[in-house]
Amino acid sequence: MTDDLTTESPVQEETPRDPWARELFFADDVEQHPAVRELREQFGEVVVDVVRFRDETTIHVRPEYLRQVSDYLRTHEQLSFKMLIDLTALDMLRLRTAPRFDVVLQLYSIKNRVRLRLKAGVDDGQSVPSVVPVWNGANWLEREAYDMFGIVFEGHPNLRRMLLPDDWDEGFPLRKDYPLRGWKEYPSYNTERTVSRTRTRWTGRGA
Amino acid sequence: MSSTVAQPGTDGMPVFAEDMPPTGTYTISDEVAINESERLLTLNMGPQHPSTHGVLRVVLKLEGEVILDCDPIIGYLHRGVEKLGESHRYAQVVPWTDRTDYVAAPMNNLGCVMAFEKLCGVESPERAQYWRVIMSELSRIASHLVWLGTHALDIGALSMSLYCFRERELILDVFEAFCGARLTTNMMEIGGFSRPIPDGLIPQIREFLRVFPDRQKEYDDLLTANPIWLARTKDVGVIPAETAIDYSLTGACLRGSGVNYDIRKAMPYLVYDRLEFDVPLGTKGDVYDRYLVRMEEMRQAIRIITQCVDAVERMDTPLMAYESEYVIPPHKGTMTTAEDMQRHFVWVIKGISPPVGEAYAAVEHPKGENGYYVVSDGSSIPYRFRVRSPDFVNLGVLSHLAKGAMLADVVALIGTIDIVLGSVDR
Repeated sequence: MTDDLTTESPVQEETPRDPWARELFFADDVEQHPAVRELREQFGEVVVDVVRFRDETTIHVRPEYLRQVSDYLRTHEQLSFKMLIDLTALDMLRLRTAPRFDVVLQLYSIKNRVRLRLKAGVDDGQSVPSVVPVWNGANWLEREAYDMFGIVFEGHPNLRRMLLPDDWDEGFPLRKDYPLRGWKEYPSYNTERTVSRTRTRWTGRGA
Repeated sequence: MSSTVAQPGTDGMPVFAEDMPPTGTYTISDEVAINESERLLTLNMGPQHPSTHGVLRVVLKLEGEVILDCDPIIGYLHRGVEKLGESHRYAQVVPWTDRTDYVAAPMNNLGCVMAFEKLCGVESPERAQYWRVIMSELSRIASHLVWLGTHALDIGALSMSLYCFRERELILDVFEAFCGARLTTNMMEIGGFSRPIPDGLIPQIREFLRVFPDRQKEYDDLLTANPIWLARTKDVGVIPAETAIDYSLTGACLRGSGVNYDIRKAMPYLVYDRLEFDVPLGTKGDVYDRYLVRMEEMRQAIRIITQCVDAVERMDTPLMAYESEYVIPPHKGTMTTAEDMQRHFVWVIKGISPPVGEAYAAVEHPKGENGYYVVSDGSSIPYRFRVRSPDFVNLGVLSHLAKGAMLADVVALIGTIDIVLGSVDR
């Protein structure tokens, strides 16, 4: 004990901080996020915007590089975002002017136990590279996004309707300009009562 | 005469028996070569086939009994839950999630409510979190019981479905006592529970906890070492770990292959970080491993519920986070004072308006990761409501698994993925 008190503590050496520390994934300053740092280093201008909200990190990338960025994140030894949890789209019609859609990927790293959201803005009629070569799980998810939003995924092996019937001709229902009940007029059934209604008692005692 | 046989565009195939060349002019191998296209049989299975667990339709291309190609066709139960979620107010969206996976409805409610709470920055009180864990683990057992009953029924063990549905009734009785509904529970609310816990509920749950382990041992005795069961499940539908990750599988389909990803452990939500339980992992990734994983998950769920019931028994803290501005205030004064009634009226009519932003919350559903991605534009209606249902993504691996398998294994493969078509189609 006395030794500890008497010996001078050595001058604190400048230890380099671990660049892969877990708290960096959750740091308030989003630029410290390892995925953001690595992507900026590797791809530079491809990262358009980085947003942090409710402990979730969203990286906006340019759509033409979506596949490269995904593949980089998946094969990176430290980041290792091996799982594509979800792929969907977002119609930004009422929120901004252009581009119209966002393709949203939710990634998960089993190694680091963190999530990451990738977004790529894509305009109506523009196509976005498919990530099926990166993750096979994207196959059905991209088909669903095409089905619901009409976003064409370039290089998808089998891009056809997923949930709606193949001969559906009313457009893409999750777009914001698609009305809730569809474009077509459907007959309304049984609005005029053809059989006259007889008043019944339902006191529970019959008759 | 020959011109009537070989029509352009019909590959010269004879249509009627009299057009066939006389017997003896060609050998059997010639016939095989001629009838190449007829050798492959396209079989349509479903959408009303009982072993497809609902309205799944699978188009199979068969050569004899071997499957060459498999194309699952879904969407027969598509109700547009996401579109409906984008046209209702936040509190009104929660009941729609019951209808997605209707055998584990409390779990769906929980995921949806957790996404809304994350968006608003609300945290439910501790006691409500314990009750949420109890209800979600009960629904996990209920879902696994439906899976076990129907899966065993498909493979040929009829009596399992009778036993499993018998025990499921006990859980549905608990749900009914808790919230009044058995199937579409609409149990969770933003901020906790607004109604008190019924008096006799904890003894009822304890009775279930006492009864169930013995009953589960019966299933174990019937199936686990049963040679017919082993023959139908061992080495069938093997998913290696890399493939499971590649196809974005979650839940027992992923853990059966030995990948340790359970949201309750990886990113604990509610009070899961205070509870003791194990995550079972498979080794090979065949149908039998996934069966063992799900059986063990039921035992672990019993462990979790026991701990939660012990913890919650003497707890008398509030159930609802009324201090938050995003939680509908108590109903108490509405009958007596006009101001309270007006305030409540505005709340109910207008609903909540979360801040602008987006949130993704996921729960470990019995079938995998059930995620809800909500985008808010500051209005009282979600701008985007995305349901990431686990079995929709898991079903994507079916065509990969079925290639090269036998026809009789398709029902085992569909059963082992554990699908509910309400959740697949949404």
